[in-house]
Amino acid sequence: MRTPSFQVHSPTTLSEALQIANSLKKQKTEFDWISGGTDLIPNYKWGINPRSNVISISGVDELGGISKTRIGAMARLQDIVESSEAHPLIAEAAASVASVMIRRSGTLGGNLCLDTRCFWLNQSETWRKSIEYCHKCDEGTGADCRVIPNQNELCVATYQGDLAPALMCLDATIHLASLNSTRSMPLEDFFQNDGITRNVLKPGEIVTHIELPDDSLRRFGSYQKLRHRDAWDFPEGGVAFSVGVDRDGSVSSLNMASTGFESIPRKHGDLISSLGKGPNWALEAERLGAELKRSVRPVLNTWFPPRYRKKMASVLARRAMEEASKRVTSA
Amino acid sequence: MTDLDDRDDVFEDLEVEPEVPEYKSKVGKKRFKTKAAKTIETEKSEIVGYRQQPGKLDFTRPGSGGSSPLSERRDPKMIPRSQGGELEQPWGPHRHDSLVTGRVIGKRTALIDSKWKVTGQAVYGDDVRLPGEIIGRLVRSDRHYARVLSVDVTEAEAMPGVLATATGLDAPSAFGVLPVTKDEHAMAIEKVRHIGDIIACVAAEDEATARIASQAVRVEYQDLDPIFDMRDGLKDSENPIHDRGVYHIGESNVQKRVFQRFGRISDIEDSVASYERDWTFKGVNHGFTEPHAVVAHWDPRGRLTLYTPQQVPHYVHRALADVLNIPMHQINVHRTYVGGGFGGKSDPFPHEMCAAILARKTGRPVRITFDREEVFWTNRGRHPSRISMAIHADEEGRFSGIETDALIDGGGFASFGHVTTYYNGVLHTAPYEIGAFHYTGARVWTNKPASGAMRGHGAVNSRCAVEVGIDDISEQLGVDPIDLRLANLLPPHSATITGFRVTSIGMRECLERVRKESNWEKKFRKMPLGKGIGVGCGFFISGSGLPIHWDPNKFPHATVHLKIDMDGGVTVHTGAADIGQGSDTVVGQAVAEVLGLPMDMIRIKSKESDTSPVDLGSYSSRVTFMNANAAVSAAMEIRSDLITAASSILDLDESKLVLGDRRIFSKRNPEVGISYLEALHKAQEDRGALVASGSYRTPPMGKMHKGAAAGLAPAYSFSAYVAEVDVDVETGSIKVEKVWAAHDCGKALNPLSVEGQIIGSCHMGLGQVISEEMKYGRTGNLLNPDLLGYKIPTVHEMPEVVPIIVESNDPEGPFGAKEAGEGPLLPILPAVCNAVYDAIGVRTSELPLTPDKLFRSIEKACSKKGISDPRDLPNPKLELKPLSKILKKRAKDHSSRDRKRRLDSSPEAYFNGQLFGQEPSNPPEENDPEWMVQVIPDKEYLENPKLAGSAWLHKERRHRRASE
Repeated sequence: MRTPSFQVHSPTTLSEALQIANSLKKQKTEFDWISGGTDLIPNYKWGINPRSNVISISGVDELGGISKTRIGAMARLQDIVESSEAHPLIAEAAASVASVMIRRSGTLGGNLCLDTRCFWLNQSETWRKSIEYCHKCDEGTGADCRVIPNQNELCVATYQGDLAPALMCLDATIHLASLNSTRSMPLEDFFQNDGITRNVLKPGEIVTHIELPDDSLRRFGSYQKLRHRDAWDFPEGGVAFSVGVDRDGSVSSLNMASTGFESIPRKHGDLISSLGKGPNWALEAERLGAELKRSVRPVLNTWFPPRYRKKMASVLARRAMEEASKRVTSA
Repeated sequence: MTDLDDRDDVFEDLEVEPEVPEYKSKVGKKRFKTKAAKTIETEKSEIVGYRQQPGKLDFTRPGSGGSSPLSERRDPKMIPRSQGGELEQPWGPHRHDSLVTGRVIGKRTALIDSKWKVTGQAVYGDDVRLPGEIIGRLVRSDRHYARVLSVDVTEAEAMPGVLATATGLDAPSAFGVLPVTKDEHAMAIEKVRHIGDIIACVAAEDEATARIASQAVRVEYQDLDPIFDMRDGLKDSENPIHDRGVYHIGESNVQKRVFQRFGRISDIEDSVASYERDWTFKGVNHGFTEPHAVVAHWDPRGRLTLYTPQQVPHYVHRALADVLNIPMHQINVHRTYVGGGFGGKSDPFPHEMCAAILARKTGRPVRITFDREEVFWTNRGRHPSRISMAIHADEEGRFSGIETDALIDGGGFASFGHVTTYYNGVLHTAPYEIGAFHYTGARVWTNKPASGAMRGHGAVNSRCAVEVGIDDISEQLGVDPIDLRLANLLPPHSATITGFRVTSIGMRECLERVRKESNWEKKFRKMPLGKGIGVGCGFFISGSGLPIHWDPNKFPHATVHLKIDMDGGVTVHTGAADIGQGSDTVVGQAVAEVLGLPMDMIRIKSKESDTSPVDLGSYSSRVTFMNANAAVSAAMEIRSDLITAASSILDLDESKLVLGDRRIFSKRNPEVGISYLEALHKAQEDRGALVASGSYRTPPMGKMHKGAAAGLAPAYSFSAYVAEVDVDVETGSIKVEKVWAAHDCGKALNPLSVEGQIIGSCHMGLGQVISEEMKYGRTGNLLNPDLLGYKIPTVHEMPEVVPIIVESNDPEGPFGAKEAGEGPLLPILPAVCNAVYDAIGVRTSELPLTPDKLFRSIEKACSKKGISDPRDLPNPKLELKPLSKILKKRAKDHSSRDRKRRLDSSPEAYFNGQLFGQEPSNPPEENDPEWMVQVIPDKEYLENPKLAGSAWLHKERRHRRASE
């Protein structure tokens, strides 16, 4: 494997980074942001949409930092795991990513912006040529989607980031910046249900940090991940659940979010609303799990077959709720 | 061009001798308090060679033993009882006992090349850098199966930086690892047979250019209909993947078929318990760390040197001569360090030919290194198989018959497949005594990467089915599965139903040890849902009885040369390929032991065909048995020279002298003796360096029927494992918690290595049980040709393994040793499958047992029992039936029978069949007209053949023509 050559830009401030991005945009030069590179570089090596320019943000200090209510996009996943500041639910999800070595390189922003994955896509150039490419990386052939053929519109590659569902359960807000403006939104609005566009980021725009509400410390949760091996593997399905508890012990919020089942991570507000906020929410774990199973729509493009992943959604949801319930009790 | 001699030195790594400090201490009373002597004391319990630092050797001038305080006394605990020592010999004396000096054999010894590896100085395939090297890149097919109409390299050749291209036309000669099935070419001649098949190659100044140029080679194809399902391979095809000429079987894709029937098949009808299941095994890859890499260089004299991480340098040597059309003596095959082989680097490979062809065209060294994906396309991993397994037991709890039908998917080429087809059957004719054996096997070509030899070659899948079957039968009979096995074992010095001569057997001890150490009686069928324990056994060859390439009566299997000059160090020339298993160390140990020398005085030259005697290489678990035996023979010659010399100096009869640590002395009066160096110099008078040659060949053995040689070995290894698992019934995921792994390796020459092999085997076998598979999608593409998608167990999946070494003292093995490289892999698969059954009551017949598959089985079991929540599944219980007592008694009787036989220096003949009332001293077919020996199917069988057996419905072309 050889990494195709590209030009690296190494800004040291955010504004410099955004200026470089803007000027590349003006020149109509395609580029990628690179932070840890643990996702991007393997894709480049496989010839999956490599760009001639990359802007490395690892020297931009203002994008780092981990606090109780703010985590910078450049925060390394292992630092989040080891941090005493980061919310335990986020640390739990981060600790499940790949392996220690990859986590020391990978970042929060990179994990949120993780490219979608599909076994028809994440292959070498010769391999993809043998199936005449696919919709997401068609090398100019206009190739069809290999998962759901004859539609040629939507890419159904699977989103397999671990952090998004945990952050969603904490009602995180994501902050973006471009040359002349910044914007923020609830994390669930950041993602777009298309394996190619993936999220709302515009060319030249970048994730700067995520912000958590002040009450996040009063939330207890669990992230349950389905995968074949306890290291390296991306989630074949992941469910996070959180419960917010007021000082008087009453339930103030319930949240559930999933990843690894579809092209986006999803927050399941609709399912949660049926729970009510009574003290007996945990008794409904079985039912909620079954509803989540009905709700998710996995396709055949990851290691486990979709039928199995769908069934496991209910187990994961139930276990996340049971675990969260335990943590509330012990808190 | 560089000076050849200089360059060679770079790779002669084992020759680098650490500086030896001068010995200054004066002989006197204080001598035992020297620091060096203390170090030796403290090291006794440590691993031999572990603490040694460069320039800080623990001994002074080699050979300055004698009165030197640094010559250790013989440790009576290391000397066998037969020689007056204290080493217990529960399995009797051995022919090598008199050679034991107590130096290294049986001691935990660090591999002699380990420091090169841990310091990063070991030169692997891709580490070879020759001046002026250029990079080769292969052009690979993106079609499953197609005729190659044209290959146009003009565009690639015109690129700046591109130095040469080559296509199939440059090397029309076919090659293959087995002389009977040469079906490979350096590059495609007429057809491409799978995605990744090689069509052409390019050489360029650098890798980037080579990659771009390889994409500029234009190929015109005419697509042919590919086949991916091995069952389709049995059918006639318009375009069979290969054409075997008059030997072609029908018009099908059957490459090899086997039919065997032994014993009283008719008695199967009287069985009271039967297990019949159709198994599916996915293909697995070796998953070695180092991808294939090769460097080829033609020197100014026109000789080719090929640097390659090969398990079998000799076969590449032969194939290169054929393909390049030059004599073998013009080729030097240089085996680099091998970053794992496991059978996957034992074929001669097309890329090795391509490198040589490109180097010849350009006159410059050419290096080719694979991407991981190319490793998967080259494959040679374990065959995907469909095995129909039937085991029958009679009312006395005897195995009245095993019927196996194995269809194996060979992929695009033959590789070792001819042998694999036999091994799938014949390697489960032991360790049990059986009343009948019926095996039908077929190997077919499909349009996938070629399958080949992989650790446990051909034996693994069918062994798994057999052992799971026995577990099931024991449940039907109401007996403990370990009792059932113990009551049906072949005794030592017996012949299996197909005529294999089995010498030492430690099977019984393996089973007894794991039963005890795992606390089996307290756990089996007694743990809560989700927790389970299971047992499995294994049987494997220790070296192949017949060499692939020559008549064993003409050439030996293994040869070792020794050379000792005035310095006293011993240079060992062997062709055995150290692929990480420690063959250099074990051959060195054999020499060191016989000559009474420390390992530091042994240097191994095993890398180059120019300086090594021909060896068949590292496959079929043959190296320790054959090479160490050859090394012992060679060392005996030198030993005899030394003793003669010592005898003349000491004026003592030769028979009264023994060797110890760098010393030759009177056995009765150890103070009377001379140093090794003194004896050596005396022996060298008038002749200079001592040289000796030793060789090994197998004794004549086996029956005469067609295919009788497949599976013949001078010795066999045995193993029994118990695995304990934790199954998540809601997700189907399996966590193997602990494995007790007993392996009979005859004698652990280096217990450290044996334990490493056992633990490594558990890891590799575990992969095949729980996660590893080469997954093909609906388009026939391999979906996971990378190490993220190909799921090798991580440290989290790895259980605690308790290695238990059983030493059955093989009469012909070096110091009693047999193999430990492949056999230990076999039992882990069935042990885990049986433990899963114990945990949740679900029997599998499909590997790998991935969570999704196991969960599907759990769902089925639930719906069958009308249970909605899998957490309510009942797990199996054991109710012992009266047969249990009968079996225990028989096992006890057999145990004393076996002990008697193993200590008997000339035991009476024992042929499989005695348990069924046959006369043990003769082959049963000579006494019993109903005892079958049949290797061609009869009409009756062909009326209703099994899956693989249906390959016999085809007629070979030559017979067809004769009959038409």
